[in-house]
Amino acid sequence: MSAPPRRVAITGLGVVSPWGSDVPDFFGRLMAGQSAVYHYQTDEAHLSMSMPAVHCPGFDAQTEVGRAASAMDRSAQMSFAACRQAWTQAGRPIPESPDRRAAMYWGTALAGTLTYEQGYREMLIKGRERVPPLSLILGMNNAAASHLAIHFRLGGPCLTYTIACASAAAAIGEAWQSIRDGRSDVALTGGADSPMSLAVVRAWEALRVLAPVGKRGAEAACRPFSADRAGLVLAEGAAALVLEEWEHARARGATILAELAGYGASCDASHLVKPSPDGQLAAMQQALELAGLSADDIDYVNAHGTATREGDPIEIDAIRRLYGPRAAELPVSATKSMHGHLMGATGATEALICVEAMRQGAIPPTAHLETVDPACEGVLHVREPGHRRPVRACMSNSFAFGGTNSVLVFRSASD
Amino acid sequence: MDALKLIRDFVSSHSDIDPESVVPDAVLADIGIDSLMLLEVMFEYEEKTGVKLPDDLPTPTTVRELMDQLEKLAPDAAQ
Repeated sequence: MSAPPRRVAITGLGVVSPWGSDVPDFFGRLMAGQSAVYHYQTDEAHLSMSMPAVHCPGFDAQTEVGRAASAMDRSAQMSFAACRQAWTQAGRPIPESPDRRAAMYWGTALAGTLTYEQGYREMLIKGRERVPPLSLILGMNNAAASHLAIHFRLGGPCLTYTIACASAAAAIGEAWQSIRDGRSDVALTGGADSPMSLAVVRAWEALRVLAPVGKRGAEAACRPFSADRAGLVLAEGAAALVLEEWEHARARGATILAELAGYGASCDASHLVKPSPDGQLAAMQQALELAGLSADDIDYVNAHGTATREGDPIEIDAIRRLYGPRAAELPVSATKSMHGHLMGATGATEALICVEAMRQGAIPPTAHLETVDPACEGVLHVREPGHRRPVRACMSNSFAFGGTNSVLVFRSASD
Repeated sequence: MDALKLIRDFVSSHSDIDPESVVPDAVLADIGIDSLMLLEVMFEYEEKTGVKLPDDLPTPTTVRELMDQLEKLAPDAAQ
């Protein structure tokens, strides 16, 4: 008879946001319905950018990372800052030599895209023939994970997941799997992205899915589930979690913030950008099953909810199918309305929102949601700031272009 | 050209290496100048002098060897 699966505790959280690096403050602002979205503008003649976005102009890499920052892309710098916070909260010492039972699972959709763009600018605009020697090291997709593994002596698996908007959720889920299966005892996980590269922004614009400033202003540009929703808002930032095998965390006297109870993974296997409710439903069902929970146990769903015309109703359809008649009373919110779409970091940001929701008994709203699109009805949309209710277990959805669906299920530490 | 100053300035702005440890007899690896940082120092030199270092330059092991390579190839070396 095989041993029961190992439980996974969350013992540390870290965030890099426009509001700074304090997780309770970050959550508090979301609870108040505060939007970090503003009218982001650059003035580079015909290469200008002008759109609602979330940017972290106050992030100071020298302060957050130190001199090592010069060997990191901005995305890796943010990764480092978020991970250091999470590790500090977890209260784990950094070992002298690499700990083979400690793993790094990181998510990023764009990784060092700013570094590569800088290289193109040097060559194609300034007419230079070469780029700085660290360009490849800064730009490679696994740069952040590698820096962090070196710093924290994480000598187990060091893996980077690049799965568009599901990158961080998949990384967290795979870290959970690693601990659950006994391959690792501790994992540093999460994701980061800094997508304000001209080429990336132009590519998103060409897809016609970015929200314009519009009549309601940049702050309210991202309106998931709303009848007048007009698209998503790009955001930069990072979020990190420390996961530990439950008994391992208890034995060292760590404060357990919550349990990461389940992870579901699926692929729509049908279309590159048009999501499928069947694929999403499969991932949600699997996450619940592996968590040993039923749909009735879930008190809150942090939706993927990007505010695209196409995606939002499909997610609500999948939620309705999973939760059945109870869906009408199931609190659902899309916090991207306030923190934007962090691409490869979004699953990690929303994971820490879920943890705080359980810890504080509070559910942040879908901001700017005045009139629900009839196609998005059938769940309890949390729209007002300050919504308080006990959350014993919750679900976070992340769905990627390409069809990958990653769903995380969390359980309160005290449940 | 003052190659020692260039190396010291670079390490003090890009690393935690004590610039005072950058002395001619020091072994590069011992003071924390690894192969990647060496590439960066050479790139910095090329940026500041406009001199393209040859691709077949032997890899220096000490600060003095690096200084010699840079100073011999500097535009003012013949003056």
